[in-house]
Amino acid sequence: MSENIKQNYLNHPKGLMSWLLTLDHKRIGLMYLVSGILFFFLGGLLALVMRMELAAPGNDFISNDTYNNVYTLHGAIMIFLFIIPAIPGALGNILLPLMVGAKDVAFPRLNLASFYIYSFGALFAMYTIINGGVDTGWTFYTPYSTQSTSNVVPMTLGIFIIGFSSILTGLNFIATVHKMRIPGLTWYKLPLFVWALYGTSLVQITATPVLAITMVLLMLERFLGIGIFDPALGGDPVLYQHFFWFYSHPAVYIMILPAFGIISEIIPVHSRKKIWGYKFIAYSTLSIAFIGFLVWGHHMFTSGQSVFSQIVFSFITYFVGIPTGVKIFSWILTMYKGQVSFTPPMLYALSFLFLFTIGGLTGIFLGAVALDIHLHDTYFVVAHFHYVMQGGTIVAFLGGLHHWWPKSFGVMYNQTIAKICAFGVFLGFNGTFFPQFLLGLRGMPRRYATYSEEFVELHSYSTFWSGILGISIFIAIMNLFWSFIKKNKVDPGSNPWGGMTLEWTHTSSPPHPHNFEEEPVLEHGPYDYDKVIVEKTYK
Amino acid sequence: MSEHHITPLRTYLIIAASLLFLSGVTVWVSYIDLGPLNIVVAMLVATIKASLVAFFFMHLLWDDKKNLTMFLMSLMFFGIFVTITLLDTEFRGDLDLNPEVKDPINKRAVFYDTLPLTDTHGHPVDEHSDNHHEDKDHH
Ligand code: HEM
Ligand SMILES: [Cu+2]
Repeated sequence: MSENIKQNYLNHPKGLMSWLLTLDHKRIGLMYLVSGILFFFLGGLLALVMRMELAAPGNDFISNDTYNNVYTLHGAIMIFLFIIPAIPGALGNILLPLMVGAKDVAFPRLNLASFYIYSFGALFAMYTIINGGVDTGWTFYTPYSTQSTSNVVPMTLGIFIIGFSSILTGLNFIATVHKMRIPGLTWYKLPLFVWALYGTSLVQITATPVLAITMVLLMLERFLGIGIFDPALGGDPVLYQHFFWFYSHPAVYIMILPAFGIISEIIPVHSRKKIWGYKFIAYSTLSIAFIGFLVWGHHMFTSGQSVFSQIVFSFITYFVGIPTGVKIFSWILTMYKGQVSFTPPMLYALSFLFLFTIGGLTGIFLGAVALDIHLHDTYFVVAHFHYVMQGGTIVAFLGGLHHWWPKSFGVMYNQTIAKICAFGVFLGFNGTFFPQFLLGLRGMPRRYATYSEEFVELHSYSTFWSGILGISIFIAIMNLFWSFIKKNKVDPGSNPWGGMTLEWTHTSSPPHPHNFEEEPVLEHGPYDYDKVIVEKTYK
Repeated sequence: MSEHHITPLRTYLIIAASLLFLSGVTVWVSYIDLGPLNIVVAMLVATIKASLVAFFFMHLLWDDKKNLTMFLMSLMFFGIFVTITLLDTEFRGDLDLNPEVKDPINKRAVFYDTLPLTDTHGHPVDEHSDNHHEDKDHH
């Protein structure tokens, strides 16, 4: 036993090639994690450059053209290179097979291929930066994107390629959930993170092809002059927005559903209480995934689409609030009368509840046509989507990393530093983005490098706190990686939070190369804190 | 999945003939102006053709039903996309007072070439002045 336990996926087999050609989902997940975090830092750096420019009115730091490039690259990198591929790619890959008791995902080779396709697409995006950037905004709206002389083609080509990686990962995860579960692990015994990944994967395989088609149509128009979006050629520019948002609204659920899954794991474990409303949470995931396909027009309320479709889209958008609210209340009720401990993962989960709720509710504001006519393309929208994407997804991602870090890598970070950083992230985040709601309400448009005097106070406030936010995130992640370097190893049998799912109870930390020494036998449900006592063990 | 289905040659030939026939229909119907139904009919014919290929040539009909579900799901999402987009394009300009901007698609191109620019009330506007978005309050 002890001989075997020393052997884990990190140290066996050895050598560079064993990593580059690995079929092990945990290693592939780790490679996604490292590349994702590098892009996260790059995107973050670009964000800080923007905040520097906006600290004061005027063009004192960078020029208008540079500013246009910076916000485009910031958005495109964060969304297409970090959040969408890297979160399911990293945490999903590492955890999904462990959670269903499998040796690996259903198609390990395809999994490795997805990673390389992602890297290949990322190369195009990086080429864009070296070659002078792209200035259309991450949405690439026509007619500007068919005319702009910046690198629209390499960037959209990169996104096109990365889309295939998303589709293949989604396919792989769906097959894994259907085919690789151990006997007895029925659908309602699956951890909710698995349900979340399943919902995400469904959206990935159904929505991403439309993104690919959109990018192809854009290039056809640019290169061959085929009129699809350009009115002068008989096209319709608003049609581009339909194509783009038919993908990109569902894509916001590709970003948030894994986060919901992470929160559904963290809260019951750190409250030592059975999750409240398991089936509600599971089915709300699927219904969000579905309703998400019917609301894309809420991004186009001022684009000149027909009033009839505005009313339809506005009406359907409100329905998104129902399954989302179901989840929020279920999480809160899970904590009620539980034994809540304020560990680093739990602090992130609590931040998530607070921040995501603000983000989601302001989304409903924006879904009201009459209000959105005024708020569209202002900082109110910027604040909204940062509350959901950063306050929601990235905060949950950080929480998930802290939760599964000892499990995935067999090392424990400094918990005090982690807690301080969690507070720093929460304060820095609110300090940066809350003023942006006010700026938006007062009419500050988005995507401008400068502004009039009246906005100075709120903008400089936002810039100040963005520094705190940046530093906190940086230290939080360094604190994690530092535990590797310091070799602060946990005992292979450790279950520091007292988790009940298979990855905690049936495998060592870090896991064995084949995950489990023998096929695990399911003894209880994923959150049966009312029936079974699981000790918190941490050595 | 369990047993390999063998399709008689006859079936293949019938399907191939229907595909050719439907291609003919596509060409023929494109000469008739059905208004908003143009795209609906074209899409319908194309969907039938694609389904025939998937069901018979690609054996979806005899395959695992999960694969069929996937296929039907993709059809459903495609249907959602096209239908709701048509709610925009077919009703474009529904509250706009200027009849000429009612249907900007396709006509727009003619617009640009032959017609002078007009404001939302149909008054001609000088192309180079900045104020062609201004509302004429005297209306
Ligand atoms: C409670 C559910 C939500 C509703 C009702 C909602 C509604 C909206 C609306 C109406 C807009 C358009 C605002 C405008 O441009 O005028 C918008 C923008 C946006 N939302 Fe949400 N939202 C929700 C959740 C989310 C989530 C979960 C995410 C991502 C994780 C997200 C990401 C975005 C992004 C990125 C934009 C701006 C896109 C752009 O123009 O660049 N939203 N949202
Ligand atoms: Cu949306």
